[in-house]
Amino acid sequence: MTAITEANLPALPIETAAFSRNPDPFAAAARRIHPWIARFSQGLVVHGYQATKDLLADDQHFRPGFSPAVAFYGLQDHLWGRFMEEMLLSVSGEKHKRLRSSVAAAFTPRRANQVRPQMRKVISALLDEWAPKGSFDFAEFGAHFPVAVVLGLLGVAADVDPTIQLGLENQLSSLTFDPAAKPLFLAGWDVLWEFSDRLVIEREASGLHDPDALLDVLIEAKRKGLLDETELRFMLLVLVVAGYDTSKNMLALTMRQLIARPDAYARCAEDIAYCGKILDEALRHSSITTPYRTVCEAFEYDGFQFERGTVVVFATALAGRDPAAYENPLSFEPERNPNNRHVAFGRGAHMCLGQHIARAQLEEGLHLIAQRLRNPRLTAEPTWRPFLGTWGYKSLPIAFDPSVS
Amino acid sequence: MKITFVQVNGVEKTIEDARPGETLMILGRTHGVEGILGDCGGGCSCATCHVYVDPEWQTAVGPPDEIESATLDTVSNVLRANSRLGCQIVLRPELDGLRVTVAPSG
Ligand code: HEM
Ligand code: FES
Repeated sequence: MTAITEANLPALPIETAAFSRNPDPFAAAARRIHPWIARFSQGLVVHGYQATKDLLADDQHFRPGFSPAVAFYGLQDHLWGRFMEEMLLSVSGEKHKRLRSSVAAAFTPRRANQVRPQMRKVISALLDEWAPKGSFDFAEFGAHFPVAVVLGLLGVAADVDPTIQLGLENQLSSLTFDPAAKPLFLAGWDVLWEFSDRLVIEREASGLHDPDALLDVLIEAKRKGLLDETELRFMLLVLVVAGYDTSKNMLALTMRQLIARPDAYARCAEDIAYCGKILDEALRHSSITTPYRTVCEAFEYDGFQFERGTVVVFATALAGRDPAAYENPLSFEPERNPNNRHVAFGRGAHMCLGQHIARAQLEEGLHLIAQRLRNPRLTAEPTWRPFLGTWGYKSLPIAFDPSVS
Repeated sequence: MKITFVQVNGVEKTIEDARPGETLMILGRTHGVEGILGDCGGGCSCATCHVYVDPEWQTAVGPPDEIESATLDTVSNVLRANSRLGCQIVLRPELDGLRVTVAPSG
């Protein structure tokens, strides 16, 4: 048995711009030394598909949480630090169960399907505004609808204060371990906290109550003593933060694949079920998150001993491109029908709460976009966001032929 | 207690030493029952632990609650009146002898 900290593992320069622009050559070189695990500056990176499935689902030996990032920025005593350590994604066991069950009913696939008409309305309104332009940065366009959709679920007016979007934009940059990110995400944090605090106070003062509005469900949970004041606000924030970058980046990455496949794109305009197929392959091919874990109880796996306290991140994007799991992993094949289902929504107790909402809004989004933005083409090289945090395009400049229906 | 799964490949698997308190999903996964994946670790959000409860056991097992029933929508194309999510069935002594069939993926 080898201690994982003593093992001869390759290094993955996962924080660098070159990696986020094109991780494949780095991943290929790392796989030649070890097939599923590597090092990075803060700990270990699991990048093999099978190991990702096994270990990400292991809620016994791993705890989630962003304590490494909080400590890196020295923000243990800041409210932001508390959020990063106490919100849904960071807690385990009974507390996690209690928090998750306070919102579970709003995130079932049934509920996601019920809100599809509302999603179509939001997306159509955005397209009415953006399509006549004939060209735009698709990454910027895609940033608009996830927030509107989450606010719709909460049951609050969908016209968002633009400063909130900016706050959201910078939140997950905290996971890049880049000192330059600190002032950005902290400024964003103040805006977001103020936003959720006001949302609760104003709703309570209004006396409104709508059993379908998630905000009211959460306020009710607080009245019953299931959530406290801070937990309620943290919950509102984790929903907007977790649903924002993820959905918009996934949409832009999928669009990039479709631009190269005009026939598939045309079919998306006709057939929403096909949009689901495209989306599944996109989630495999270009998944965007790198969940964080810390080993909380020593264990053995595949000949390695993992000690308590070891930081492990799971590069789901690389797991989706693992040649041991997928044939021609780099090629985008919507008809691939893999037995190996993607890991883009994670595994285990923290598996994406918003997965059904995400699917529904991305399917509806692709379907309507393909109808309204005809013949999309790239007008400049896209630029990339950091790999850690939420990977994806920073910009995806396109031109297209607007269509009214 | 004794629990029998008819796996997705049609082959029966009987587990003799199941313990009350654990869920049918965990039991199936621990014993490598084909088709019980349990992706979300029992969080009632993925429906990859879908089983059909044998009709004579339906009353003892009981119906799904509201959230479980809404999550079963994920597998609506293979849904039956006796569908349940294995992670929401906690084993108790009255279920000794239970027999379920693992549902195909939706
Ligand atoms: C395609 C889009 C999305 C992807 C790829 C994605 C991916 C993920 C992943 C991998 C996790 C697990 C993280 C971990 O284990 O540490 C997660 C958790 C989560 N996601 Fe998503 N997500 C998406 C969209 C959304 C949306 C739209 C929402 C909300 C409306 C959302 C809300 C959440 C929440 C609240 C959690 C934490 C769950 C928990 O800790 O129990 N996600 N997501
Ligand atoms: S394990 Fe996910 S719903 Fe049962």
